[in-house]
Amino acid sequence: MFKRIQTGNMIKVMIFSGVIFFLGKIFDAYNQGQLSVVLMYFIGILSITFLTGLAGQISLGQGALMAVGGYTCALGILNLGLNYWQSIIFSVLASLVAGWILGVTAARLSGPYLAGTTLVIALAIPSLANRFESVFGGDVGLSVEFGAPPQWLVTLIGEIGFEQWQLFATLPFASIALYFALNLFKSRTGRSWRAVRDHEIAASLAGINVQRMKIFTFVVASGFAGLAGAMYGLRGIVGPSVYPISLSLTLLTGAVLGGLRSIGGAFIGAVLVVFLPDLIETLGGTWEIAPQIGNYLPAMVSSILLILTVVLNPAGIAGGLHHRKSRHK
Amino acid sequence: MLMARKLADLMLNIENLVTEYGAVRALDGISFTAAEGKITTVIGANGAGKSTLLRTISGLERAKSGQITWVDKSLIGKAPESIVRSGIAHVPEGHAVISQLTVAENIEMGALFRRRQNRSDVKLAVEEAYALFPRLAERNKQLAGTLSGGERQMLAISRALVSRPKLLLLDEPSLGLAPLVVEQIIQTVDDLCRKSGLTVLLVEQNANTALAVADYGVLLSLGKVVANLPAADLKADASLRAAYLGY
Amino acid sequence: MDQFLSAVFAGTSRGAIYALVALGLVLVWRGAGVINFAQMGQAMFSTYVASTLIMNGYSYWIAFFVALIVGTILGAVVDLLVMRPLSGKRSSAMLASPAMRGTIPVIASLGIVGILQAAAGMIWAAEERGFPTPVNSLGLTIGGNVMPFTAFDLFVIGIVMVVLLITTIFFQKTGMGLAMRASALNPEVARLSGIRTSSVRTLSWAISGAASSLAGLLVTPSANLSPNTLDLILIIGFTATVIGGLDSLPGGVIGGFILGLVISFVNVYRSPSDIFLAILVLLLIVLLVRPQGLLGSKEVRRV
Repeated sequence: MFKRIQTGNMIKVMIFSGVIFFLGKIFDAYNQGQLSVVLMYFIGILSITFLTGLAGQISLGQGALMAVGGYTCALGILNLGLNYWQSIIFSVLASLVAGWILGVTAARLSGPYLAGTTLVIALAIPSLANRFESVFGGDVGLSVEFGAPPQWLVTLIGEIGFEQWQLFATLPFASIALYFALNLFKSRTGRSWRAVRDHEIAASLAGINVQRMKIFTFVVASGFAGLAGAMYGLRGIVGPSVYPISLSLTLLTGAVLGGLRSIGGAFIGAVLVVFLPDLIETLGGTWEIAPQIGNYLPAMVSSILLILTVVLNPAGIAGGLHHRKSRHK
Repeated sequence: MLMARKLADLMLNIENLVTEYGAVRALDGISFTAAEGKITTVIGANGAGKSTLLRTISGLERAKSGQITWVDKSLIGKAPESIVRSGIAHVPEGHAVISQLTVAENIEMGALFRRRQNRSDVKLAVEEAYALFPRLAERNKQLAGTLSGGERQMLAISRALVSRPKLLLLDEPSLGLAPLVVEQIIQTVDDLCRKSGLTVLLVEQNANTALAVADYGVLLSLGKVVANLPAADLKADASLRAAYLGY
Repeated sequence: MDQFLSAVFAGTSRGAIYALVALGLVLVWRGAGVINFAQMGQAMFSTYVASTLIMNGYSYWIAFFVALIVGTILGAVVDLLVMRPLSGKRSSAMLASPAMRGTIPVIASLGIVGILQAAAGMIWAAEERGFPTPVNSLGLTIGGNVMPFTAFDLFVIGIVMVVLLITTIFFQKTGMGLAMRASALNPEVARLSGIRTSSVRTLSWAISGAASSLAGLLVTPSANLSPNTLDLILIIGFTATVIGGLDSLPGGVIGGFILGLVISFVNVYRSPSDIFLAILVLLLIVLLVRPQGLLGSKEVRRV
């Protein structure tokens, strides 16, 4: 049965990749760049979908895990001489380890104590960059990039722009992450996580090792976050300013707005978080809104949306659509 | 003219009460009246809807339809805190006291809303509660969580009593308590009822204990009223007992 | 020696601010079961109001009290407009699990900070402002010697001690304090006792709003006012409550002072970039030994 689900997921992933690739060919350079950021945020938000949506653990520090991914990837390229995709794999592995450490620490905590700890971690990890300036480049950071597209690809599909290459280089990893996520969602592990989220005591009575599940969630979530962070850094720079505390909050916002409990929701959230500010800026320009207001309008709108979502429709956009679909059955 | 007093005075009148938990009808059209100054016991097997009935009366659960009339007011749709102020006190089953507060604080809590109007009566009510249950007076600075089961039940009842209710809703006071303690508590409630004219609605799993002190008995099964009789009659009816109470 | 003393005093006076923030957080946690991440956003907003008043010629103390009132009202408004509707939602499946019930209000409070910061940007153009102090902020001179602390430091410490005393008395000795504790510990039993738990909750938010405004007013002189300066204060204040025990008022205060001192010493004897690492280490040590914080109660309450 699972085999069939896996094939179904494979098809979904191929359609996804196809669509993104197509958009990558028709978008202008700026939006190609934005789309690649959407993919990166998508993977980052997936870490929250699994951690918070599925397993019910709150983390305000996913941005810091992205930083771990980013820094290890950069160090891989600069110090270990790996090429970009080897480095990404290296950084995912490193993030898994970081996730394990985080999980072991955090599994004993819950609720606000967990939130507080992850918050402090979110601040402590970037500050390491300043602590060990020689290694991490301090405030300035390390510069890395995706590099030039390989010749065989250019021969195949023609000239590839800078942002376009960013998109095409990100896409395979996003697709793999999506496939992995889709499978995980429907797997036994996914069900165990849901059980732990909804009723810890019942879950442990049913034979689930709650501690181990929680740690595993952190490991998996960190893997996603690290992957996202690695690619995020490959856009040009890895530094504390690239992974501020607001990044963790942006991911959380995207997750909630799009739908905390679904993969589709994660994607919708990523699209919102990336394109909404652009949209508002354009609207601000058309309606000739004063710059003092216009500058803060995106933040104001997304905050209001966040509150409205949480109060009126906590399941997010994806949740609302799902609800509507099942009512019309 | 005393005779002309309305029948509805100080009686709890319930008509076609329906309460749902999702798709399940916990109360499926309950109708009965609790007579003033008397003990009416609500008995029935587990899941018959007894606790739900009390919780709906006190406002913790929202009724789907039907009517609850107390004195001349409808209780439907009112919040628990305002129902308390109408003179109805509910002692829920299980966690009816706050473990992290002291005995004195738990009792005081029950009278907070009356303090502004009637400070001296509140003091009197608290003293009366301690007189009723001297064990609580001994332990009044202790945390409620350190009390024994029986003492906690006494505390819960005291908290309800200091609000000077006219109607007392008691939910399974015997749960988890030794028979001697149960007897003591039920007896105290019975005495109180006779002396002060308190109307009591007593939900009990233990039908024998309840029917021994009650004036009337309402037998519930699967959310419906199966019998509404004077307690003595209910106790004597072996067929009803066998069918619904299992003995 | 001088360096040591000045580190101690800087740490204590800063710690007093964190203690105030912690107080506000514990108040809302105990009163409403929510971590109010918007707390310092509210403080920032009310301090901007105060600053505007001062810029327009009003005296420090008038601005001070207006800010407190604004903070109180903001707190109540947040509860009435956002938190109450939130707790009224029983239908959503999302809120079924206890983990989510705790998470959702946190996310809502993050949204509120966003709104307040954006609003501050729109109204005051996020301009950085200074803020005066009511007393001298130069080194205090006692008996001809210049002390490594200022009159303002003493003022701050004094106010926090007074606030702590008042809130403790309020909670332990007054009827309303009992109502608040009861509503937080067991809302059902509280309601059955006739306590209007939702009004009580709003009061907790209002009081917390006042406390956080106070913190904002006291900390701003030493750090210029802009929409984001108080974020860090919130995070440290929150860490203080975690260390001290989320449901303990004295715990939060102690946590605040401990953090203030730790940060001060790390600042003076090591380097500023070590601060967060030090906080993290301290946090982990405390939580490893006592996951409920120093003075917190063992049972993690699920609201």
